Amino acid sequence: MKLFDTIKTANHNLFKSKTRTFLTILAVFIGSFTIIMSNAVNAGVNDFIDKQVASIGGDGFIEVMPATAYNQVADMMQGGAKVKEYDEKSGGSILGANISNADFEKLKSVDGVKNLEVFHMLSTEWMRLQGAEKKYNVNVEYFPISGFNVDLSAGRMPDDNSPAREIIINEDWLEPLGLKNADDAIGQTVEIAIKQTAKCYIQPENCLAIVSGTIVGVQAPGVLTMDGDLHVNKAYDNELYELSMEGIPEASREIYFVIGDVEPDKIEEIRKAYRELGYEFITIDDTVGMIRTFFDAILIVFNIFGGIALLAAAIGIINTLFMSVQERTREIGLMKAMGMGKGSIFFSFSTEAILLGFWGSVFGIIISMVIGTIANNVAHNTFLADFPTFQLVIFNPLNMTVITAIIMLIAFIAGTAPARRAAKKDPIDALRYE
Amino acid sequence: MEKIIEAKNLTKIYGKKSNKFTALKDIDLSIYKGESVAIVGKSGSGKSTLMHLLALLDKPTKGTVYIDGNDASKLKNRDLNKLRNERFGFVFQQFFMNSNDTVLENVLLPLKIAKKGRKERNRLAKDALKVVDLEAKEENKAINLSGGQKQRVCIARAVVNDPQIIFADEPTGNLDSATGDKITDLLFDLNKNKGVTLIIVTHDEDLAKLCGRIIRVSDGQIISDQTVRKDSHQKASERLEKEAARVKKANREK
Repeated sequence: MKLFDTIKTANHNLFKSKTRTFLTILAVFIGSFTIIMSNAVNAGVNDFIDKQVASIGGDGFIEVMPATAYNQVADMMQGGAKVKEYDEKSGGSILGANISNADFEKLKSVDGVKNLEVFHMLSTEWMRLQGAEKKYNVNVEYFPISGFNVDLSAGRMPDDNSPAREIIINEDWLEPLGLKNADDAIGQTVEIAIKQTAKCYIQPENCLAIVSGTIVGVQAPGVLTMDGDLHVNKAYDNELYELSMEGIPEASREIYFVIGDVEPDKIEEIRKAYRELGYEFITIDDTVGMIRTFFDAILIVFNIFGGIALLAAAIGIINTLFMSVQERTREIGLMKAMGMGKGSIFFSFSTEAILLGFWGSVFGIIISMVIGTIANNVAHNTFLADFPTFQLVIFNPLNMTVITAIIMLIAFIAGTAPARRAAKKDPIDALRYE
Repeated sequence: MEKIIEAKNLTKIYGKKSNKFTALKDIDLSIYKGESVAIVGKSGSGKSTLMHLLALLDKPTKGTVYIDGNDASKLKNRDLNKLRNERFGFVFQQFFMNSNDTVLENVLLPLKIAKKGRKERNRLAKDALKVVDLEAKEENKAINLSGGQKQRVCIARAVVNDPQIIFADEPTGNLDSATGDKITDLLFDLNKNKGVTLIIVTHDEDLAKLCGRIIRVSDGQIISDQTVRKDSHQKASERLEKEAARVKKANREK
């Protein structure tokens, strides 16, 4: 038979027993749908992450910590730190692993490092509009923000070279602070209270320092605002830090984290140089990488589910075809008598198996796309309303082609046993078969 | 006359050792081009086995079948299939049709196997249906036909590739005598008008008598081989008409 005739005949034969074929295709569909859908969601999430990373910027931003601290964190994230022998140099806990001033200078002088600063962990208590009654919990932080793209709805970015204390808030703060809109916020003075650690040992009831600053900008909703930390300029950060550390000698102020700005294309060389010094750093890409790894792990789990469903479907295909071979024994005998070769018979039954896989995955694609489109629309009108560019599910034609090809291959392999049985039938026995 | 099939020392043994059953013993047989041959015998006599061996559907335990003087056992599978596809036609007692396919689909199956193109296939299949007078039914599903129509479709299927030999295994076995006669006529027309060699396996003496040569098989051996005549047979329908006229006449006389 010609190839096209074989495919057409196989398809025709399949749909002779509609219910059986439908059920087998349904089984394949469950597997293909699971795999196609989870890949599409993963593609959507990755696309979202890519877009956000591109929009955040900060390619050269690094967060440096001692290798011991980094490794302990890494161990903890992999399910608990291991028992280790004590080492005086690296210290006993994460908090013990700090950065000496000598090391700080060394880190600063590595080629490609543009700027390196000590990261201050500020234990702020609250923030309010100057003169207002109500106070709100707040976290503020400073890092060299120049490399980041921040979307402002009003005002400007804080100036790190300015001696004036400056802060930008995000739109969530407007209402609590009693501000009408973003423009109204610009130029307003806020007060931030911070604990003075040393003083709190002596006078726990009265150890807050209050530092005022000016709102210079309002940030539009976006990824950078998601952690809720408000961004202050260097002057504001320094003032808050100095007050919180008042009474603690400079020498005993420990450095846990260092943040910096480096040349993006030298990151890997810098990483190598830092490792030799006993330090590790995390870039924005690394952080995003962890999120990606998480979603990839979920994808793998779903693909395993899909794979198991396909395995069951493959058994369904074997079963269906064995029944078909049994039912069509006489037809096979007749075709053999009329000169159809073993190879052709094998091929025609294999084609039926491949078609079962093909239809199953085509329906998987169609239904996934329908559900995906609906999901995208629903998401855009509800929880993703703020992210118009984010597609919850993305269908990649190459992915779908590869998945379809793999499913067809699985179906073909499943079909080999029944197809071989059909090919081996003796025409005489087959014609006598009642 | 030209030998089309020749069998030498044909032996077929089924089973092994204690279950051994000899279906055919040392058969020597020649069939000539254009003959109409009836292979007659009771069930279990070995007549069907003999046909299967001659039609190259089965391999003999011993002995050789020659087609046009060539040893069939030396043919490759591919050539054997091609030979059956192009030169043999088969008609079976149980029809063996794909009942959910159309009449046309059933008829063109051998051409599909022969990898003929769609247009040619359809043309040849329609021509074959004309021969059996069923061109009006080409789009009908095979399942909706009567027994006689089914067998006519099978004859169309057997002749669609313009074969040199038609093997018919009890072609009228499932039909009443009137429809059976029609089928017989069709087969003998092919023999007479197209020179197709006809090999009919049957236990029906009436059908056998229409053939030019009758080979009787019993217990795996040929017990008689008579060539009744070299010319064609008397048309069954004519015979039927004469019979009907005779009955009519007899009734009138009463």
